Amino acid sequence: MDKKSVAGSGAIWEKLITRRTFLKGTAVAGAAAAVEGLLNFDFLWHLTPAARAGSNNNDNKYQVFLNVCPRNCYDTCSILSYVQDGVLKKVTGNPEQTFTRGHLCAKGYTYTRRVYSPDRIKYPMRQTGGRGSGKWQRINWDEAMDVIARKILELKKRYGSTLPICLDKYSGNFEIMHYGIEGMMSSIGYTTRALGTPCWPAGIDAQTFDMGTLYSSDPEAMVNARYLILWGVNPAWTSIHSMHFVYEARKRGAKLVVIDPVISQTASKADLYVQINPSTDGALALGMARYILDHNLYDRDYLQNHVIGWEQFAAYLRDRVTTGWASYKTGVPQEVIETLAREYATAKPALIWIGYGMQRHTNGGQNVRAIDALAAITGNIGKTGGGANYGQLETWGFNYHAMGFKAPAGSKGVSKPDGTVSDRFIDINNFGHDVLAAKDPPVKMLWIACRNPLSQDPEAGVVEKAFRSMELVVTVDQFMNRSAQLSDIVLPATTQFEDWGVNASYWHYWVGINQQAIKPLFEAKSDVQIAMALSRRLNQLAPGSCTYPVDGDMQDWLGKEFNAKTYQMLGIQDWRELLKGPRKARLPAASWSDGKFRTPSGKYELYSQEAQKFGHNPLPVYLDEEKAPEKYPYRLLTPHWKLGLHSQFQNLDWMMSTNPEPWLEIHPDLAAAKGIRDGDMVKVFNDLGWLIIKARVTATVPPGIMAAYEAWYRDVDYNVNYTVKATPADMGTKATGNPGIAFHDNFIDITRA
Amino acid sequence: MQLGFLINTEKCIGCQSCEMACKNEFQTDAVVHWRRVYPVGEKNYPRPERIFMSIACNHCARPECLRVCPVQAYTKREDGIVVHNHDRCIGCRSCVMACPYRAPQYNPHYRKVEKCSLCYLRIDQGKKPACVDACSVGALQLIRLDKAAVPDTVDRMPGFPDPSITGPSVRFVPPVIGTQVRGN
Repeated sequence: MDKKSVAGSGAIWEKLITRRTFLKGTAVAGAAAAVEGLLNFDFLWHLTPAARAGSNNNDNKYQVFLNVCPRNCYDTCSILSYVQDGVLKKVTGNPEQTFTRGHLCAKGYTYTRRVYSPDRIKYPMRQTGGRGSGKWQRINWDEAMDVIARKILELKKRYGSTLPICLDKYSGNFEIMHYGIEGMMSSIGYTTRALGTPCWPAGIDAQTFDMGTLYSSDPEAMVNARYLILWGVNPAWTSIHSMHFVYEARKRGAKLVVIDPVISQTASKADLYVQINPSTDGALALGMARYILDHNLYDRDYLQNHVIGWEQFAAYLRDRVTTGWASYKTGVPQEVIETLAREYATAKPALIWIGYGMQRHTNGGQNVRAIDALAAITGNIGKTGGGANYGQLETWGFNYHAMGFKAPAGSKGVSKPDGTVSDRFIDINNFGHDVLAAKDPPVKMLWIACRNPLSQDPEAGVVEKAFRSMELVVTVDQFMNRSAQLSDIVLPATTQFEDWGVNASYWHYWVGINQQAIKPLFEAKSDVQIAMALSRRLNQLAPGSCTYPVDGDMQDWLGKEFNAKTYQMLGIQDWRELLKGPRKARLPAASWSDGKFRTPSGKYELYSQEAQKFGHNPLPVYLDEEKAPEKYPYRLLTPHWKLGLHSQFQNLDWMMSTNPEPWLEIHPDLAAAKGIRDGDMVKVFNDLGWLIIKARVTATVPPGIMAAYEAWYRDVDYNVNYTVKATPADMGTKATGNPGIAFHDNFIDITRA
Repeated sequence: MQLGFLINTEKCIGCQSCEMACKNEFQTDAVVHWRRVYPVGEKNYPRPERIFMSIACNHCARPECLRVCPVQAYTKREDGIVVHNHDRCIGCRSCVMACPYRAPQYNPHYRKVEKCSLCYLRIDQGKKPACVDACSVGALQLIRLDKAAVPDTVDRMPGFPDPSITGPSVRFVPPVIGTQVRGN
């Protein structure tokens, strides 16, 4: 492979600039196309729009493949990919899948722009001018693997273990074989791992204390609900396919209630929208529980047969909770709390969908426990159309074969009291700090995969410092995002269309094979292929230094992810049967319908000794919410929105053309007080950092609360986490190893910029 | 016969899947939007909300684009679909200026105009338009307007240009805003 400099006047940056100019419409199209050659979308078409209309509308001439959207999203859509002459021409939803019902979302429909984006990282590259210099040199895979392998071996020799090598991988691609990168790390010895999840751990722990695990009902069964509370969740943006089932429930007579601090897109569709002070959801739930207790609206039979701790919980409610207190905390009028409680407790079945944003607070776990308790005391758990639904992992029972490799004999790691040796775990939610703080040995090398910590982590400045203190940073990605820009080596990752895989959802019950539809673009590889290539080089340089296989067919790898239990759940004998179409797991429509909870007592635990062991009150109690300090009197919420998923999608040209810049939602009263008009640039800041952003004056946010949406905009220095401190949520440690982050306890001040 | 779109603003969640599904179907350039999802605007209703209308070419009864085009690039089919012939188009942009709905759009890449074709080739094959197919909540539908009035619909929305000029082949289900309990 030729070494080709791409620094300065070279290919990639120049093309980025050319493309950008083109997008602005100032360059002559022909010239842009000539420069870009293969790197624009013309090769998808070579046809005028009129001719396209004819050709793309004839579905018979395509080869159709089964794919699955692998993003960190409730919906995990089944995709049909239309391929002609080896080119992915378009995508549609797969109508066989009854949850996504043949539809994708706005993000899903942009996939051709992602696959063929001129911005994709195409080859392994090495940054020669220092991290962030933008001076990239194209290298080949052998060279990349050589540099990385030598660094691994050198660090191992210097420190006597592979602990200086740290992996930070999370949710950029949830396809199962992407765990191959964890497997590769295990294969070289004991390493340092970013442990935990930024997303939902406080709520997971809450449900684990209450029910033994998170196991929500089939969302398709939402249609059976007679009363539906969407609590801190905005499916109209984050799970659009759920809205069909929400609407269907309503058509059949259900009342739709949305509880949220913000008049979200979903709230705009509610029969009743209840605005709540952020982080006080537990107070509302407990106030409702007190009303239900006082008015004998609880389900005696259910409590007697399936629940422990009702006496203690009732005593707590009588002693500490009133609807008046709940009203004071939440800002919700007392009579509304009472109406909600009465309606919820008397409509059977009544369903609550608990969102993830709601638990990103210092009391998030307790708030989820309090909401769960409502479902338990009214006997709504285990009923189809009922439940306290948060997410499920029942359909994820794969072998995780790709990650199941042992350290080479004699590897040194962290010795545990029981005599075993393990990896060293650091907190994914305080990653920068923990990397810098690691001693004996320090962390010297980072491997970043399926993750963009510089865009998604709190305290981005600290993360950047950690990156800069490394001897080697390797990032595997599809785009030159902020983390990739601060790396020494970037490796091009395949999209789901370019490789085999299998996907489950943490919401619906469908499992689907992801077929390879097209050849990998340029020199992209999957994580398992990268792991094999690195193992090959490591073993050449130091035989026995890596236990990862060095070769293998990707379909064979895939087959090894299945076991008798997954086959049984999906009603198949062999994974290849999934090539006919995705399958829905054979689970009851209502979770916990057998009443066998996975708690120590086997019952629903309102009183949880397990919670107590982890330092929490055994009961669902109210923990006071964080209040804004005097210096930073406003709260900035940074939820997810519809055209991006974390730092993915918004950078694509179609997204940039429809939504070119970020904005901040600010209430007219606050805007007026601050002299801010719609469209003004404003500066949002606190001690940690600041961001400059355009104001959108709207009453969809309450006066003291602003909202800005996380995204990685192409060529825009924007990161909603600049002001976010790595404050832990109350829960998460039991189920995920580390507590969550209180992303939404983010206090700021604002001025005109 | 006149085909058109039924835009149900009560159901629409503004997700823009229709807009992107259109781009996906035709792989249009980033600079053109055959379909767009417009916010209706908070000021038009008594309570703050997020209401949208998804608008493409309205395949008008009296298409201004067709009337002003100097090279007869536009034709109106028997089913009412207004078709733009890209080969005939000279990119003069008369139609761009004439259309109240921003349906014809100039693409500098080709130096010509292009617009929504109501997926007439899909329709001829008995399929739905790509945008309608993509809507997961059934907020966008294909309707026939040649019959009597479509029940429970209106022909105008705040911000939607006066339909009396060109007779756009769209009808709206107006939004419903539920009870809002808000602090302050």
